[in-house]
Amino acid sequence: MVTINQATKQFIKRPRTILLVILLLVSIISIGIFGLQEGLDLAGGSMIQLHLEESVDQDTMNTVTAVLDKRLNAFGISDVQVRQSGSQDVIVEIAGVQPEEVERIISTPGKFEAKINNQTALTGSDITTVSAAEVTGTRWKVPFSVSTEAANKFADVAKGQAGAEVQMYLDDKLISSPQLDAGLANGVGSTDIEVSGGEQTKEQAQTQATEIHTVLESGALPVKLAISGVNSVSAELGSQFETGSLIAGFLALIAIVIIVSVKYKSPSLVLPIVVTCLSELLLILGFASLIHWNLDLSAIAGMIATIGTGVDDQIVMTDEVLARRDISNRKNIVKTRIKDAFFIVYASAGTLIAAMLPLAYIGFARGATGIGMLTGFAVTTVVGVLIGIFITRPVFADYMETFLVRNPREEINISKSSTSKPKKNKKKGRKTIAREEAEKAKKRR
Amino acid sequence: MVDVITYITRKSHKPLILIPVLLMILSLLYLGIFGLNEGIDLKGGTLATLELKEPMSEVEVNNIISGELGIHDVKTSISGNTAIVTISGDVDQALFTQKFSDKFNILSFRSVGALLSDAAMEQIVYALLFAFVFMAITVFYVFRDPVPSLAIILSAVCNLSIAVGSMSLFGIPLSVASVGALLMLIGYGVDTDILLTTRLLKRTDGDLDDRAEGACKTGVTLTISALASMIVLFIVVKLFIPSAQVLEDISAVLIMGLLSDLLSTWLMNLGILKWHMERGGHN
Repeated sequence: MVTINQATKQFIKRPRTILLVILLLVSIISIGIFGLQEGLDLAGGSMIQLHLEESVDQDTMNTVTAVLDKRLNAFGISDVQVRQSGSQDVIVEIAGVQPEEVERIISTPGKFEAKINNQTALTGSDITTVSAAEVTGTRWKVPFSVSTEAANKFADVAKGQAGAEVQMYLDDKLISSPQLDAGLANGVGSTDIEVSGGEQTKEQAQTQATEIHTVLESGALPVKLAISGVNSVSAELGSQFETGSLIAGFLALIAIVIIVSVKYKSPSLVLPIVVTCLSELLLILGFASLIHWNLDLSAIAGMIATIGTGVDDQIVMTDEVLARRDISNRKNIVKTRIKDAFFIVYASAGTLIAAMLPLAYIGFARGATGIGMLTGFAVTTVVGVLIGIFITRPVFADYMETFLVRNPREEINISKSSTSKPKKNKKKGRKTIAREEAEKAKKRR
Repeated sequence: MVDVITYITRKSHKPLILIPVLLMILSLLYLGIFGLNEGIDLKGGTLATLELKEPMSEVEVNNIISGELGIHDVKTSISGNTAIVTISGDVDQALFTQKFSDKFNILSFRSVGALLSDAAMEQIVYALLFAFVFMAITVFYVFRDPVPSLAIILSAVCNLSIAVGSMSLFGIPLSVASVGALLMLIGYGVDTDILLTTRLLKRTDGDLDDRAEGACKTGVTLTISALASMIVLFIVVKLFIPSAQVLEDISAVLIMGLLSDLLSTWLMNLGILKWHMERGGHN
């Protein structure tokens, strides 16, 4: 029993084991604190996909998403998430299953009005172009151009009103009220107008400038867009999916445990294989919660596939090591076998990652539309594979090295003769094997 | 089970190569004649999961919906009091809710416009193509030997053909989800082939047949464990969450692909490798 404790201590003290334990703890804590973010099909909600008329640059895309976000908020729709998907698509996600209102808001242009003393000075259709916001220190300004007609109307309303509030309304909701600059209150019409102001801090100035810019742009988006798809799932169905996925995941694990138990019988082999599987699953979930990644049905499929395929490498390694047990139990042999097994492990991981890369690329580069819906699946699989080959499987290999070699009688049935002279074997082990292998290799040639 | 493994790995091999090859040809012929259904991701359309407020048959649901919307191409499948309705063409959810709220409770609603479906088809073709090419490059890089590498790639082609052929046979539509499963199959289906090739060509202990048998025992366990998790997923989806189409498609395609992997690896790839080694191609 002393030897077991010694071996166990050494195994636990290995840096790779410690790393695994730390990462497992981090995962548990992260899931505990951040929780797991559920995607549309598990949590319920609606997703509206918008397609822009043409591919746009990042600045324009930011404007589009900011304007949509502002307008949806102005209409009192809570829990809205507007995000870009590639360079030509925008996805709007809302809690609840009433996408109609969102569709209506998006398909009508925003209503922008600027009022001075309750007199309309500008409307959205007056604005021709809006330039980028400029921030210098705590001062900000947003220059924009209006039509000549609108310039004169504005000059009339603004005349003599220096210092008055310019109240900016978006869809009839007051968004901002900067002061009217003296230079604009002289009654002379100018097509180039700028809104400017000063704030306490640089960050506040930036926020204010972005806000004003968004409101000015809301009247006319820089690019035309159309609704290309709608997807909504009721909370009821979402929770059904959630329960179903949990049951499927749990039963899949049970199935794997049964298969591994039938094949290996000995708990000292079955237990580590299952523990490795479980820790991989936990690490994937921890990773998902850490990066706030939305788990959807395709990610669930990826996870269940990871349960089924992740056990593979443990089986490969165990079989490789066991295949040699009747020939020798020397540590070096086990080491070579594990190294050999890792060749298969790496090659398999390589092909799986290679096959998933295009999917992950499409997901990140072109957005979550179309096949991008499967990004969750691709990412889960790739992350699962990477966690497997770099974190959990080395520990599994260490386990085999430590326990299948140092304590052979306990772990696997090995004849007494080979265990009776371990010292001798240990001393000449490495060199002998190297020589033997070299000779073998010579013969082959 | 063990007898089968012994037979496959020791006795005969060349005639066995024909079994997966014939299956592959049959699958491709079937596919060529009957073609594949396209899911709404690819041809556009609307997929709604409805809770029926009163019991009705599939035909009744079809008639109600096509009568009100004036669309003839409506398909319904009912399990319990949940109906999954596929409608060709873009349907406005607001209109749908307004017209049918007295009869159905909308659980989920998904509508894909033409724009989105065109983009999806293009992406699917690229994803499959690149996945296959990347996988092939990885295999060549790992083994650096044309015959074994080509045998592995042929085995992947065989898996894909049989999986797609059975999609056509069982009416599983080509959708974003089933493509995901095909991609997984490209990457994962060659794992057992890699195991086999490594054990046969890179190892020297024992004779060829022993190594083949050892590889086969390990490899079959791998495929069975992956199959088990997918069969469990398929059954759970069928029983508890029939409207989770994504999961059903992924698991069904992977089950067919993994079954075909058993044949392509242990009948075809093993046969080719033994043949290759007998002819002095290696060692």
